[in-house]
Amino acid sequence: MSTRADAWPAGGIQPDWTLTVVPSTQDESGHDLPLSELDDRRLVEACLGGRIDAFDVIVERHQRAIYHLCFRFVRRHEDAADLTQEVFLRAYRGLRRFRGDATLATWLYRIGVNLCLNQVAARRVQETPIEEAPALRAAGFDPASQLMSAEAGARVRAAVARLPPKQRATLILRVYQDLSHREIAQTLGTTVGAVKANVFHALGNLKRLLAEEAIGKP
Amino acid sequence: MTHLSPGQVVDVAEGGADAVLASHARDCGACRAKVEAVAGALRLARSDPPPEPSPLFWPHLAARISSEVRREQARAPRWRAPVWRLAPIGAAAVVVVALGIGAWLRPAPPTRENPASDSFVETPAQAGDDSMADGEPADDPAWTLVSDLSAEVSVEDADASGALPPPGGAEKALADLNAAERGELTRILREEIAAWAPAAPQGPGA
Repeated sequence: MSTRADAWPAGGIQPDWTLTVVPSTQDESGHDLPLSELDDRRLVEACLGGRIDAFDVIVERHQRAIYHLCFRFVRRHEDAADLTQEVFLRAYRGLRRFRGDATLATWLYRIGVNLCLNQVAARRVQETPIEEAPALRAAGFDPASQLMSAEAGARVRAAVARLPPKQRATLILRVYQDLSHREIAQTLGTTVGAVKANVFHALGNLKRLLAEEAIGKP
Repeated sequence: MTHLSPGQVVDVAEGGADAVLASHARDCGACRAKVEAVAGALRLARSDPPPEPSPLFWPHLAARISSEVRREQARAPRWRAPVWRLAPIGAAAVVVVALGIGAWLRPAPPTRENPASDSFVETPAQAGDDSMADGEPADDPAWTLVSDLSAEVSVEDADASGALPPPGGAEKALADLNAAERGELTRILREEIAAWAPAAPQGPGA
């Protein structure tokens, strides 16, 4: 979109320049590119220029990763869906503050981690008893083909939930979201060394918690 | 070589360490135990697969977020309402206000009934008139400057000099505004009117 000199009414003062307001979403030959073919940075620019449908593409592209992140923190499908929606709403509100020095995914993760930690701290997340595993299957989850039983998976998730917040966030981003140490450092605003130390202590605590849980199990 | 740091243990357990560290982890019993413990916990954590909701869930979630974002945009479209779209209306409003003030404060032309009205000599009747008492805008140097400058400018002169927006520009800009932007413009104009109201000089008929 641009403001062209010939768009001004006759008789008025006509500027002799053309001001490009929105970054082009065209290729080099001038053809409009489908939004789905734009990279994240250009989608953000298009969105800031008024193309709200560009934000829809951002959502489609990242909703799965953000949902999985939220689920690892709150362990309930409904809560994870609500938090995912909130992450994207906050991203939309703060889109101007996205400076592009990290990837959009990292930025979304940062919003998600902060939101999830605040959410978990603010209220006691409803525990999902292991006995409810069949109900999850009925709601659309199908862990039958997975290596671990639903019960064992629930025990791991419960142990992760008992980790201190920073260790928990680091472990989730590293193990389940498969972020590099550098990306985790960017997301959490810390150093690569601190991330590795947190992974080390998180895994040690996880093993201890699972062992305690196994011993205490009748 | 000293024992591995926690970060180096993680690097070895994840398979990302250099040959020197990996070799030390093989040869040092204490470090090997740490690496094996971390690698075992890593395998345990990774064995919990990600939840996979129904395939129908994703379009549903995307539609839900899209709807909320559009609602958000309608509520607070601040970065969707570039200020320049209000510029022609603002410029027109400033010129109209300035011309209005100038016309208001310009001395009335002499008439037979009031032959001294263009005189700067204060008459006893004028001395008793408190409409220009201290604190009124006419005593404010800034106000006087604006008044003096605008008193000599007619609408035609302002138009010829380009100070006015192009013909129909203000109307076009106004027509282009959406409901939220019109609401914002109304708010700004009301604030300006409210700011002017206490300081505005009383008209001749007041």
